[in-house]
Amino acid sequence: MRKRCVILFMTILPVFVFAGCKGKSSAHDSNEMVLHQMLNSKIKCLDPVLIQDEYSMNVCNHMFETLYQYHYLKRPYQLVPLLADGMPEFSGDGLTCTVRIKKGIRFQDDKCFPNGKGREFKSSDFAYGVRRTADVKSLSPNWAVIENKIAGLDEFREYTKTCKTAADVNYSRSIEGLLTPDDYTIIIKLKRPWPQLVDNLMVDVRNAPMAKEAVDYYGKDIIAHPVGTGPFILKNWERASYIELVRNPNFRGEPYPTEGDPGDKEAGLLDDAGKTMPFADKVVWTIIEEDQPSWLLFMQGKIDARAIPKDSWNEAMTATNDLTPKMKQLEIRLYAFKDPSTFYLGFNMLDPVLSKNKPLRQAINHAIDRETFIKLFFNNTYDIAYGVIPPVLASYNPDIKNRGYSDYDPNKSKELLVEAEKIQGGKIPPLKIAMQGTDTFYRQYGSFVQRQLEVIGLNVEVEYMDWPTFQEKENKRQHQIFAGGGGAGIPDAQDSLSEYYSKYWSPGVNHFNYKNPEFDRLYEQTEVMMDSPERTKLYQKMELIVLEDCPAAFLDHRVRYVLVHDWNKNYKPDIFGYGLSKYYKVDLKKRAEYPELLNKVKD
Amino acid sequence: MGAYIIRRLLYTIPIVFGVLLLTFILFTVVGGDISFEIAGKNASPETIKEIREEYGFNKPLFLAWDSQLVRHFKDALTFDFGRALDREPVIDKIKRGVGPSLSLTIPIFFGEVIISVSIALVIAFLRGRIWDILAVILCIAGMSIPYLSFILFGQYFLAYKLRLFPVFFSPDLSVPQYVALPVLIGIVTGLGGSVRFYRTVMLDEMRADYVRTAFAKGLDVKSVLFKHVLKNAMIPILTQVVLAIPFLFLGSLLLERFFGIPGVGYLMVEAIGSRDYFVINAMTYISAILFVIFNLITDVCYALVDPRITLD
Repeated sequence: MRKRCVILFMTILPVFVFAGCKGKSSAHDSNEMVLHQMLNSKIKCLDPVLIQDEYSMNVCNHMFETLYQYHYLKRPYQLVPLLADGMPEFSGDGLTCTVRIKKGIRFQDDKCFPNGKGREFKSSDFAYGVRRTADVKSLSPNWAVIENKIAGLDEFREYTKTCKTAADVNYSRSIEGLLTPDDYTIIIKLKRPWPQLVDNLMVDVRNAPMAKEAVDYYGKDIIAHPVGTGPFILKNWERASYIELVRNPNFRGEPYPTEGDPGDKEAGLLDDAGKTMPFADKVVWTIIEEDQPSWLLFMQGKIDARAIPKDSWNEAMTATNDLTPKMKQLEIRLYAFKDPSTFYLGFNMLDPVLSKNKPLRQAINHAIDRETFIKLFFNNTYDIAYGVIPPVLASYNPDIKNRGYSDYDPNKSKELLVEAEKIQGGKIPPLKIAMQGTDTFYRQYGSFVQRQLEVIGLNVEVEYMDWPTFQEKENKRQHQIFAGGGGAGIPDAQDSLSEYYSKYWSPGVNHFNYKNPEFDRLYEQTEVMMDSPERTKLYQKMELIVLEDCPAAFLDHRVRYVLVHDWNKNYKPDIFGYGLSKYYKVDLKKRAEYPELLNKVKD
Repeated sequence: MGAYIIRRLLYTIPIVFGVLLLTFILFTVVGGDISFEIAGKNASPETIKEIREEYGFNKPLFLAWDSQLVRHFKDALTFDFGRALDREPVIDKIKRGVGPSLSLTIPIFFGEVIISVSIALVIAFLRGRIWDILAVILCIAGMSIPYLSFILFGQYFLAYKLRLFPVFFSPDLSVPQYVALPVLIGIVTGLGGSVRFYRTVMLDEMRADYVRTAFAKGLDVKSVLFKHVLKNAMIPILTQVVLAIPFLFLGSLLLERFFGIPGVGYLMVEAIGSRDYFVINAMTYISAILFVIFNLITDVCYALVDPRITLD
């Protein structure tokens, strides 16, 4: 009997124990320059056409290149060629854009190419990338950006709808406005001027050039097989765990910038001027969703840079927003920089209670104490948002603080509420605020707003929901009030203002479902204007129209606080740049000495 | 026994069909259309339409040969779970996650069972004495402290401060290195409940007449405990142990998330959070099958350990 039990146990045990054990070896050579970075969320895909999140964009930008990029050191942001040979040439009417591309650039080696050798990058690869975004069978979420812009591209999309399967789509079908007369020239013909053409089509990795051979070879698995021309290639991708890139042996080498902003030279940012990039042999991103382990890894020196988590703020920063002595002893550097973002409580302008009651919307605006909000939730580091355009953009209106309804004034709120109740014809019914998360932050955020509105006499119910539910309700225009916000993807306020254009109602980007004919007219006018003081004035005028109509209570603009270990060289905050690892360099000696330094400081 | 096993295996058919029907109703009928989740933010209506066609959401729910229900059954029975929302085949995700999850949950499971049964046997024998009282207090304390506190404490003190273990997963580490601390935490957090349960089981046996008889006959403590008490306590232990095995495949969410172990626990919760029905559906189906199989194994084990039970 006992023997039988032992046999049973011994039979089952090894099966399970060894089932889980898979040897793993990816040890780094100590002389290898490895960048250790982290991501707060896992990478969803490595196919540019399907990218929906900035984490995937960041990683993809290390493997795929675009025609242009933003200058790493110069501010305000300047476009510089990457795959392109020189700046784009526009016709006098702004409708034709010609780009020449560099010769001799090669794709990485991959089995999708004959003999596994990467072929030369051609202009047709760029056209293929744009066609993929337009192809409805690709299921790209990024079509809206290029819709109704390039001559003949919308017709190509219509054609793809008639194809039964993705394989039936003929990619060699000609498109009037997307021409490649030779292997090194791209001509784009627009329906009307598009000032953001370069930013949206030639800098954004989601429209990056692709090798058709790779898409044909890997089919649906192309999401995990990036084949690009960039400085790095994929070595390992353990989803939900880590992603590892190594140098692309076919990469032509790119010189480090030789010019920068005042102060860059003194900061050592031009020490490597003209040297060939990338400097690092390997980039490893570990996916860490919890704050504690990522902070501890940073403190152990196993991650090169990290934003300060809320709960570790006091360990890193003093009351005067300076580094604590411990951080200074550990030679950790602090970078604080503004983010092109705006966060708000949005009002659904189709809601019967809110839409016809401007005093109610104004009352909610005045009822929120933004200073306390930022103090409580963001360690007093964020900027108060008074309007749509974030302060980091050139078209920010410095006078915006004196406009709109963002000042905290509960008495004024109460007066406005009396007026609102007259319009409503009685007491305001309970309002529903939707939060896009169920975690502690959103619960505290919801409670804060609820309490603030209750003070002026409003009855509020906060609904906490997961992101998909929130998004579904947003797309179906079912929220009444919602906590939202986001960042601009390009250094142009048009991106932020598009959220108020009536043709982009949900499921488009205008989740307020806001409409003002004058705003729409100005939006359409600025859409075809190149950057100029006149356009900036119009942007600011549009912002004031939005503020006056009050489709949201603007709350804050993010300010990022990033800590960087001293061994990480050439680090400069870049809010619009992706794929920045090529610029980074590690002082290996300093990194090796860090554990000793940490011991000393601990003692 | 063979006839019994065949009969029980036949019983699994309606159970599995029931699970499939239930998951279909929950995820497709109640849960609604997930095209928006697949399409992402700001997708155009035609992209949504295309997704509906590609995933078959435009087909009738029931009562057609090409209905979503028929496809759901067909896919499940052929273990073809399709692609997750991030376009990766679901089966690849599960295959990849099972190894790391088992490398974490199996040592926790066996460690917890062996340690808790041993402690329970000893303190049951010492019932009413100071060691027994102390153990019960510790068990209750262990059960009362939140799981997360053990993780935060272990990670901070044992890994960061004392540097006895790595803080987090790293590709450079071997499996035993990166699972050591989470396994230790998993065992310690589970001991409170397990020891209390097994202690109760042992106490029931200790009070039985045959134990008194054994001692009266002059048998030593070791023989009574390990030869008689433990053997007779095997039925409830087996029930507890074997039925827990299917859950090992589901991993441990918190441990996986805090220590960066890319297992199926993490996968499942992430799928729930992003409403990835393809993954949830596959995991539910596989769990149901495993549960049925291990239920059957439990019954067979009863017959193996207790001669009074015959399966025929």
